[in-house]
Amino acid sequence: MRQLREVAYVDGVRTAFGRAGPDGIFWKTRADDMAVKVVRELLRRNPQLPPERIDDVVYAATAQVGDQGLTLGRDVALLAGLPKTVPGFAVDRMCAGALTATTAGAGEIVMGAADVVLVGGVEHMGHHPMGEDVDFNPRFVAERIVDDSAAVMGQTAENLHDAFPHLTREDADAFAVESQRKAARAWDDGVMDEIVVPMSVFTDDGWTVAARDQFLRPDTTMEALAGLRTPFRAGGRVTAGNSAGLTDGATAALIASEEAAAELGLEPKMRLVAFAYAGVEPELMGLGPVPATKRVLEQAELAMDDIGLFELNEPFAVQVLTWCDGVGVAPDDPRLNPYGGAIACGHPLAATGVRLMAQLAHGLRERPDVRYGLTALCIGLGMGAAVLWENLQNGG
Amino acid sequence: MASPTTFKLQRVETRVGPVALVTMDNGEDWQKPNTFGEEALRSLAATLERLHAGDWRGLVLTGKPFVFAVGADMDEFGGITPERAREGGRAGHELFGRLRDLPFLTLAAINGAAVGGGVEIALHCDYRTISSSVRHFACPEVFLGLIPGWGGTQLLPRLIGADEAVRFIVENPLRQNRMLTGTQAFEAGYADDLLEPVEFLDQSLALLLARIEEGGGKRQPAADLSDIAEVCRKARARLDGQVHGAAPAPYRALGLIEGAATWSLEDGYRAEENALAELLPGPQAQASLYAFTLVERRAKRGVGVPEAEPRRIGKVGIVGAGLMARQLALLALRRLEVPIVLRDLTQEQVDDAISWIRDELDELVRKGRLGEGKARFLGSLASGGTAWDVFAGCDLVLEAVFEEMVVKKEVFAELERVVSPECVLATNTSSLSVTEMGAELEHPERVVGMHFFNPVAVLPLVELVRTPRTDDVTLATAWTVTGKLRKRGVLVRDAPAFVVNRVLSRTTTVLMDALEHGNTVEETDEAVLRLGLPMAPSVLLQMVGPRVANHVLHTLHEAYPDRFPTFSTLDTFAAGGDEIVVREHAPRTVDEIHDAVLEATADEVAHILEEGVVAEAADVDTCLILGAGYPFWLGGITKHLDQTGVSQRVVGRPFARLAAAPA
Repeated sequence: MRQLREVAYVDGVRTAFGRAGPDGIFWKTRADDMAVKVVRELLRRNPQLPPERIDDVVYAATAQVGDQGLTLGRDVALLAGLPKTVPGFAVDRMCAGALTATTAGAGEIVMGAADVVLVGGVEHMGHHPMGEDVDFNPRFVAERIVDDSAAVMGQTAENLHDAFPHLTREDADAFAVESQRKAARAWDDGVMDEIVVPMSVFTDDGWTVAARDQFLRPDTTMEALAGLRTPFRAGGRVTAGNSAGLTDGATAALIASEEAAAELGLEPKMRLVAFAYAGVEPELMGLGPVPATKRVLEQAELAMDDIGLFELNEPFAVQVLTWCDGVGVAPDDPRLNPYGGAIACGHPLAATGVRLMAQLAHGLRERPDVRYGLTALCIGLGMGAAVLWENLQNGG
Repeated sequence: MASPTTFKLQRVETRVGPVALVTMDNGEDWQKPNTFGEEALRSLAATLERLHAGDWRGLVLTGKPFVFAVGADMDEFGGITPERAREGGRAGHELFGRLRDLPFLTLAAINGAAVGGGVEIALHCDYRTISSSVRHFACPEVFLGLIPGWGGTQLLPRLIGADEAVRFIVENPLRQNRMLTGTQAFEAGYADDLLEPVEFLDQSLALLLARIEEGGGKRQPAADLSDIAEVCRKARARLDGQVHGAAPAPYRALGLIEGAATWSLEDGYRAEENALAELLPGPQAQASLYAFTLVERRAKRGVGVPEAEPRRIGKVGIVGAGLMARQLALLALRRLEVPIVLRDLTQEQVDDAISWIRDELDELVRKGRLGEGKARFLGSLASGGTAWDVFAGCDLVLEAVFEEMVVKKEVFAELERVVSPECVLATNTSSLSVTEMGAELEHPERVVGMHFFNPVAVLPLVELVRTPRTDDVTLATAWTVTGKLRKRGVLVRDAPAFVVNRVLSRTTTVLMDALEHGNTVEETDEAVLRLGLPMAPSVLLQMVGPRVANHVLHTLHEAYPDRFPTFSTLDTFAAGGDEIVVREHAPRTVDEIHDAVLEATADEVAHILEEGVVAEAADVDTCLILGAGYPFWLGGITKHLDQTGVSQRVVGRPFARLAAAPA
């Protein structure tokens, strides 16, 4: 009889996150080369794992064209020098790409189709601006299937302010200042050194090493943020300061069945407890994590109070605030994003999921008293994702 | 020309403190590699200032993607004075010396092509890593009549020992400019670590940090050079046998290498500067630079390529199954990867040729140069028979049958019956009139000469013969096929024996005349070998075959009886005999024969140009370099004839009125 198996998160790494565009540090670096870098680092950090034991490589990108276009899982596996016996595929669920790669890989493991799966995501938003080469079906507009604003993420964030007028620009700016402060402290404390892989990159000024996120603004203040313009709407509330910039970055993580991890001497850090994806109104895209969180808690028969750490993506401060409202967590709750979030480090769409997992794993190690942690993010076209994890680093 | 190289400095914070990451980058893609011209040296000087001033803990020097650096900018060498040559040497020594003197550990991360000065700048670093993707690591200066003059002759022996230094600096350049791969360079000791390209710079940086943490300090390579005198003596003897003293650069290089054992580095630098001041403005180096420009730029581009769209080649026919035909079939098979048909008089001949081709393919598989499956596929593309209709559907048929006009005309007539009117009919004739060969055809506009040189795998020249009736599409197709076969085409007019065989035959007349006047074969060989040609004329004659050589001579005799007499001796050789028919015993000195060869050559080149067989003297030189292996340091031959005053004396003017090489 088939035995379902537990899935463990073993390890995860990312590149530094760069500003998208010609002045960004990764402008002259290929997206798949960034992915190769993190994959190789992951293998180097886990030498117990014979590369031929990787049963699948699941890799995400939103723009599956150009340097992200060649069935990334396989493309990256070959370029990274994995044995040619290791297969791979590409997934896309926009911002939840890497989380979807993880849950898809987890499905393989639970089924017994794989023991060890390498997952990750990359988004070179400099090379692939959002919506690149997308041919929107005219029915979306003609039949009012979605509101015009649903295609522009910044406008969906403005829509959240409209829908929840008590969430002000000041609230958003305050959250952003705090995100920057927490991220700066995490870098100072060496948290990021364990997650971020320095990578040499060629630029117009010669080779250099991308080792630090380009969006960090540790000294930002409410006053500085108040002066920023609102690009999505005259008199709007969403600014470059209270949202995540357009980012280049890549991530990779190892997941394995607990049996395989034990057999290979891999150190499991978190157990996958449950995951859920949910749909909402596309023009209120940022609401997605609220129903996703509720569903994942129902599956696990847990309550918010049972969860000791939250790693939530921060595409827009207001998006986090609506989640806080929706699930009853204060924006300044110490459980929420203890190392800062995307406002400070950037959000390379499909790559972000693994960043959340890696930061959660680090947080759970610091907090052996915590049993459960949650990673969640909102997704374009009105979706949300939530993945619930159990701490395995509590001295067991 | 490429933009100047800039030394771009980036500060990288590491666990041991700030490390300087310097990139050599001319802002162009890999096809225009980094060179060290005057402006590049100024950039290096400015970067060295900042390196000597900062709080640096280490330095990594690397190149832009795919290229490290390919050395001095040769465009600055043309017509240089001894003073400027010495200054150029000194400027490099001064800057590279300051790089070497940096008070912290330095590492050259050789990520791509490293040639000449590129190798030398790396030698001035404490450590070297090299990427396994590197395919060009060499000091080719001797090939160009120069020496590695930015510390190469001094630091290489200290690093890798006398034997390897001699091989690298002197012998590899004279072996068709052989270059090392990254793996070979690492195995021979040029680099401390061989790294995969995928994370090459990251790992190079990690290696430097580890060395800094170990605290071992600066390095002074000091290989055991006790054998250096013996190594250099033996090398000198080999050199005599190869270049016959014709080129000074390899001898100078040996002297400098030998000096490295006893000189201080500063003394060695001065000796290199002296050598540069002498060699760089000298005739051999200047001729080499001219030859280099011809071969690497002019011939690569192709002169006279028509605008027309070439025809697609989907099937190739080879008429004949002899030695030349087989070689051509194998080449076409490997490079074009299309069905190839051969035809000869008996099925045995055809079968024999096909099994020879398959054996050659198997040999390539054994050498690891071809996959087994690919070889099987290519082998399956070769077929043939005795009937003419095997050529049906061919887009190009190349004939390589016996050199007899009647036979060739018959071949073309038979071909025209089975191929389409567009099919290109090419002849590999070495001397017959291509025009006449196609004269009676219904479509003579598709006839073209494609004259390959034996051995086909070695000599890169194809003389592309255009008749007055050849159309643009046919010629364009022949050019394209030549390029795909990885050969270089030179456009020639349809004239007896074209260029290479005409010049070589004229030399033969001088040598035969000497033999028939009582000179020995040793003397005639020596008279030509002292030019530095790769092969003695007597050996070449045996390789080409006396019958073929005599046939070419007779063709030329019919056209130009005054300049191309025939010789009973060669007739005898052609008939299989070996007797020299001495007409009169009046031997000349080797010097006299040597001069006579040069004078006859000058005279013949002048006639070739007058007749418009090729457009320029540069084309004659290209032909001789690529089709007869004439060394670079003669600049083909016209550069040498100008330099020695022979052209002035014989023709009344130099072949090149301007010192500058044609671009």
